[in-house]
Amino acid sequence: MILIHDLKKTYGSKVAVDIPEYTIAEGEILGLVGNNGAGKTTLFRLMLDLLKADSGNVTINDIDVSRSESWKNFTGAYLDESFLIDYLTPEEYFCFVGKMCGFTKAETEERIEAYSRFMADEIIGQKKYIRNLSAGNRQKVGIISALLSRPAVVILDEPFNFLDPSSQSSLKHLLREYNRETCATILVSSHNLTHTTDISTRIAVLEHGVIIRDIDNTEGTASEELEEYFRRE
Amino acid sequence: MLLSDIRKNQKLAARRSPIYERNRFAKFMIYFGITFWAAYFVYIGVMLFFAFSEGIPNMEPYHILNCGLPFFLLIDFFMRFLLPTPVQEIKPYLLLPLPKKRVLNALLIQAGLNPFNLFWLFLFVPFAWLSVLRFYGIPGVLGYCVGIWLLMVGNGYWSMLVRVLMRQKFIYILLILPVYGSMALLEFLPETEWTSRFYMDLGEGYIEWNPLAFLGTLAVAIGLAGVNRWVQGKLIYRELARTEDNKVKHISNYSFFERYGIVGEYMRLELKLIFRNKTPKSNFWSFLFIMVMFACALAGDVYGSNNYMNYFICLYCYCVFGLMTLSRIMSFEGNYIDGLMVHKETIYNLLLAKYYLQSIFLIIPFLMMLYPVVTGTVSLLTSAAYLFFTMGPIFATIMQLAVYNDKTAVLNGGFMAKSQGNTMYQTLITLIAFAAPLLIQRMLTFFLPETEAGIALLVIGLATVATHRIWIKNIYVRLMKRRYNNMENFRNTR
Repeated sequence: MILIHDLKKTYGSKVAVDIPEYTIAEGEILGLVGNNGAGKTTLFRLMLDLLKADSGNVTINDIDVSRSESWKNFTGAYLDESFLIDYLTPEEYFCFVGKMCGFTKAETEERIEAYSRFMADEIIGQKKYIRNLSAGNRQKVGIISALLSRPAVVILDEPFNFLDPSSQSSLKHLLREYNRETCATILVSSHNLTHTTDISTRIAVLEHGVIIRDIDNTEGTASEELEEYFRRE
Repeated sequence: MLLSDIRKNQKLAARRSPIYERNRFAKFMIYFGITFWAAYFVYIGVMLFFAFSEGIPNMEPYHILNCGLPFFLLIDFFMRFLLPTPVQEIKPYLLLPLPKKRVLNALLIQAGLNPFNLFWLFLFVPFAWLSVLRFYGIPGVLGYCVGIWLLMVGNGYWSMLVRVLMRQKFIYILLILPVYGSMALLEFLPETEWTSRFYMDLGEGYIEWNPLAFLGTLAVAIGLAGVNRWVQGKLIYRELARTEDNKVKHISNYSFFERYGIVGEYMRLELKLIFRNKTPKSNFWSFLFIMVMFACALAGDVYGSNNYMNYFICLYCYCVFGLMTLSRIMSFEGNYIDGLMVHKETIYNLLLAKYYLQSIFLIIPFLMMLYPVVTGTVSLLTSAAYLFFTMGPIFATIMQLAVYNDKTAVLNGGFMAKSQGNTMYQTLITLIAFAAPLLIQRMLTFFLPETEAGIALLVIGLATVATHRIWIKNIYVRLMKRRYNNMENFRNTR
């Protein structure tokens, strides 16, 4: 379970995040939507202890992320390309992340095999460094590395960006299956309302750092409300 | 017009840099340094006049100085290596309705007008005032200064060409061999001295306003600028196409380190960082080159029985590589720091790996020191003491920068990369770090006899090495306390 308590982050006079209380239950897929500059990435950075909060805290499974590193054992995340070590080949990068999680090379390769459809023969065995892959394939490397250790909490920022339509569809399927198999809590931010409503069990609308709507989507009925909200905006 | 617009953008880039405020202190120090060197150059200019007048009375001092112009050009060539590698910020202008060649021309003209090209005049103006003025008046002094400036402009283009090419591949440093080799050959072949004679005539040509001297120098400068334009034009396409390492033939895995667990994995990562990215790779070979130069100076017994210089060279032979490399510790990692920070204790293991690898690299100077040890230039005790002193206190000190370095260094700063002009702060820290080992060594040898000083260094070194996990953990803990600040600055300077 993820608990956000009195979380505030400002840049000068601009409020980036201001969430008094918010709970994300275990096994939920939370879709975070909002316009540019709404604070989605800032919120994720605060949740991953990559940014110092002005006040408040985030706990993942009762661990305050800013006070202990043990939440890193069961959390996988990919926010942007600054997560990738781009002078490694994808295979080397997966092995590196695997090693950080305590896997042998063989175990990592076995886990990677599960994502072969998503990688579509464009990533493994290419003899290319990550920096020379296309933006979409780099995105895939980042997403797979976040899922590699089969973490109980997954945080992905705009994962559908740069992906071609078939990869987007494949990713939706992959995330749903992953959630079904592992009961993991998944947080996904996106500008694509269709993809978000397709995969999320709950959707939070963020504007100016504040969660202004919290919509249940277990029945897949949030799209109308979201469409209406963003049309009005 | 274009030139002034480009200059305006460059000034804005510097002023709006996130580390502008911190750089102001560094800039003050740099300006202080410039003033010091300018005064020193004036002093040298005056002293050279008197030395030449008294030492070689049958020749005019300006003739003697002109004979030595190649020497000044060589120093100037290497001095420019201390400046940031030239990068042309051409990318933002590529899609504008401007001919590419015009933009390149503007950037090259700007390089020619660089105030650094005037710096030598601090030496040559007072010298000419004393030696040329009395024969040729102010026009003679003026002609001489214009000529020297043109010569430095040409030398600047030559240095730019080598440095831009070295950025692609370090091996291009070998370009200097045929140039300086042929000059040396023409000078030192029996009864020739053609090089010095040529420069003597050239200098006199400047003084006498001989159009041939100016046109010749100008032609060489323009020619070198043209070669630069041709090379840089090619590099634009190469970098835009990103064809360099698109298909890697051989992927080195450094599997040897696999057996050392997570730290071993980071050692592999460190080696891949060094050898797969242009900037660290170029740094590696440059620093190694400097180390070898130091070792050769010792092996060649350049300083004879001057113990002070021999020990100075020996110490820097050990520590130059580590100091230069570790002064930028964590800066390259700034490119992917977020990815590292979402894993547990990665930074601690990374610091350990960096330390072990740098310690392993010390084998190179130790082996190179064996010859001077055998010939008796330095003692084995001194060599071992400096080895462990470097591995201990020097590395422990310079690695403290891991806590404070928060500017991302460009991994593959190509020819069109973002300007790396904001490196003054790091340059300053490196300069300070360079002075510290010498001070400690001097203090010890001042208070203790040679053998005792060596033993003291050895003991201090061994104690610091033995406790490396403790002080590295301390660096890690302090770094984690500053992590938010550092991560934000790394992001802002990518």
